[in-house]
Amino acid sequence: MSIILECKNLTKTFGTKKALDNVNLSIPRGRIIGLLGPNASGKSTFIKLCSGLLTPTKGEILIDDHKPGIETKKIVSYLPERSYLNDWMKVSDIIEFFKDFYDDFNPEKAYDMLVRLGIEPKDRLKTMSKGTKEKVQLILVMSREAKLYLLDEPIGGVDPAARDYILETIIANYNEDATVIISTHIISDIEKILDDVIFIKNGQLVLTKSVDEIREETGKSIDSLFREVFKC
Amino acid sequence: MLAKLLKHEFKATARIFLPLYLILLIFGLINRIFNVFDIFGDSISFNMQSTLSVISSIIYFTLIVAIIVMTLVIMIQRFYKNLLGDEGYLMFTLPVKPWQHIVSKLIISMLWSGLSLIVIISSIAILIGIKDTLAALSRGINFFIESLGYTGLLTACSYAILMFILYVLMIYSAISLGHLFPKYKLLASFGMYSVLYIINQVVTTVVLLTFGNKALANIISNSPTPSQIINFIQSLLPVPILLIVGNFLLTKFILEKHLNLE
Amino acid sequence: MPWHLTSDRPIYTQLIEQIKLKICSGVYPPGSKLPSVRDLAREASVNPNTMQRALAKLEEDGLLYTQRTSGRYVTEDVDMIKKAKNQLAKEHIQNFLTKMAELGFDYDEILSIISSMAKEMKK
Repeated sequence: MSIILECKNLTKTFGTKKALDNVNLSIPRGRIIGLLGPNASGKSTFIKLCSGLLTPTKGEILIDDHKPGIETKKIVSYLPERSYLNDWMKVSDIIEFFKDFYDDFNPEKAYDMLVRLGIEPKDRLKTMSKGTKEKVQLILVMSREAKLYLLDEPIGGVDPAARDYILETIIANYNEDATVIISTHIISDIEKILDDVIFIKNGQLVLTKSVDEIREETGKSIDSLFREVFKC
Repeated sequence: MLAKLLKHEFKATARIFLPLYLILLIFGLINRIFNVFDIFGDSISFNMQSTLSVISSIIYFTLIVAIIVMTLVIMIQRFYKNLLGDEGYLMFTLPVKPWQHIVSKLIISMLWSGLSLIVIISSIAILIGIKDTLAALSRGINFFIESLGYTGLLTACSYAILMFILYVLMIYSAISLGHLFPKYKLLASFGMYSVLYIINQVVTTVVLLTFGNKALANIISNSPTPSQIINFIQSLLPVPILLIVGNFLLTKFILEKHLNLE
Repeated sequence: MPWHLTSDRPIYTQLIEQIKLKICSGVYPPGSKLPSVRDLAREASVNPNTMQRALAKLEEDGLLYTQRTSGRYVTEDVDMIKKAKNQLAKEHIQNFLTKMAELGFDYDEILSIISSMAKEMKK
C-alpha cells in the first residue's frame, strides 16, 4: 500500500518548549486514523505542520512525495480547531470562495449537506452559533475530494446528534485513495470508525497500531486503553 | 490564482470603502446645498443656517480624514488579520504562493488609495463646482508641465508611486517581522517598522553620498535648472526600487520559510 | 435489525457474527443482494475498510459471493446457511450450558427446567 504522509525526525520547538520531538511516521492511503492525545500533547502542532501553517524546526514532512507547499495544499483538506471564516460572509460566499481556489471542491455536495443540517446558504456567519459555524467549516472541508483530510478536533464543540452526523459524513465521503486523520481527545464516539490509532504524549509517539489489533490483544476498548496510557 | 485572490480581496474591502465614498459624496452635496442656496429663505434666522452648515462642514472634513485613516488601517488590517490572524488558517492552506498573497494585498491597497484620492477630489468638485475644480487641477498640472516638462511630471509621478509602494511593503515587512516574535507581536511590528524606516533612510543616504555626491553638491550649491532637478530625481529612482525589492523579498521569505500560525 | 457493537472486542469479528446472524435469520435471504460496503458501513457506523474485511472473510467462508459487475450476494446454498445456523445455535447452547454448570445445575435438571418452561410458553 502506498504512503500518503511521511515524517522523518520531525521536531518543532516553540521557544524552549518541544511541541514535537523527533517523530517518525508513515501513513498509508485509504485509512481513517485517530490522532489521540491529551490537551497540549502536540496533536495540533503535528496537523499544522502537515498543512503548512507551521514550519518544522528539524526534520521533514512529505505528503504524496512533496514537502508542504502549493502541491500539497491542492490535495490536503484541513479543518482547524478554530473558526477561520470571515464573519461578514454568507455561507454561499464562502462556497464560492472554496470553488474558486480548490479544483477538487464539489459545491453540490456542500449544498446537500447544508440542507440536511438545516443551514440556510443565505445566512451570514455573524448570526450563527459557534456550533453551527463549526458545522459549516466541516461541510466545506468534507466537500472537497482531497487525498488527505486533516481534521483537528472536528467533534469538540458540537452536540451528540450533530456528532453522529459528522461521523456519518466522514464515512460517507470516504474513498479508498483518501486518508483521514482525526485528532481528538473524545475517543468513545469515534473509535468505531477508525482503522488505526496514533497515541501522542508530550510531543512523542507512544503507540501506532490498528484498532482491531489493540482490541484483540488487550480485550479493551481504545477509550479505556487511552485512559490507562494517559493516566494522571 | 492571483486574479482570484485580487477578486476576493476586492470584495472583502469594497464593502467598507464603497459606502464610505458614497457618504462622503453625499455630504459634499449637502454642503454645497447649504453654501450655495439659501434654502431656509428669510423665515429662519441666519444663525440657524450657519450652525447647520458648520456642522455639516465638520462632518464633511471628518469624513475626509476618516477615509484617509481607513485606507491606512484597512491596508494594515488586511495583512495582519487576514494573513497572520485566524483567517490566515484559511489563506495559507489555499494552493497559492506567498508572493501572490503579498502582491494581491499590495495592488488592492494601491487601488483603494488611488480611488480614495479620486473620490475626495470628486467630493470637492461637488462642493465647489465641477468647473472650478477642473480649472484648478489643470492650472496645477499646467504649471508643473511648464516648469518641469512632461518628463518631469512623469518622473515625479513614478517617484511618488514607487515611494508609496515602498511604504506599503515596509508595513508588510514590519508586520511579518513582528510576527516572528513569540509575544507582543503587534508591538513588535511597530518597533520593526521604526527599525526598517531607519534602515531604509540609511540605505538612501549612503547611496546618495556614494553615487550622487557630485549631483547633490550641484543641487545644494547652485540654483539648479529644472532639467538638472529631473536628472537628479531620475538618478535616484533605483534606490526606492532596490528597497522595494528588498522589503518584498524579506516579507516573502518570512511567509515562506518562517510562517508560524499559533 | 439494528447493529450492536461494543468497543472492547474487535469490530471486525463482531461484524462477521452479526452479518451471519442476519443471513441465518433471513434478514438477508438466500440469493439476495447485499447493500454496498459503503451503505452497510454507514448503517453500522463503522469504517468501510473494516466492513470490507468482514465481508471478504464471509466470502471466503462461502456464505457470500461476488458477481463481478453487480455486487455481493448471499449464497443460494440453503444447506450451507442451515449449517451456519446450526453452528450459531451450538455456540449459544454451549454458552448457556457453561453458565448453568457454573450455577450448579446438572444436565437432567437443565432439561427439566427447559421442558417445563417450553410448556408454559406454548400456553
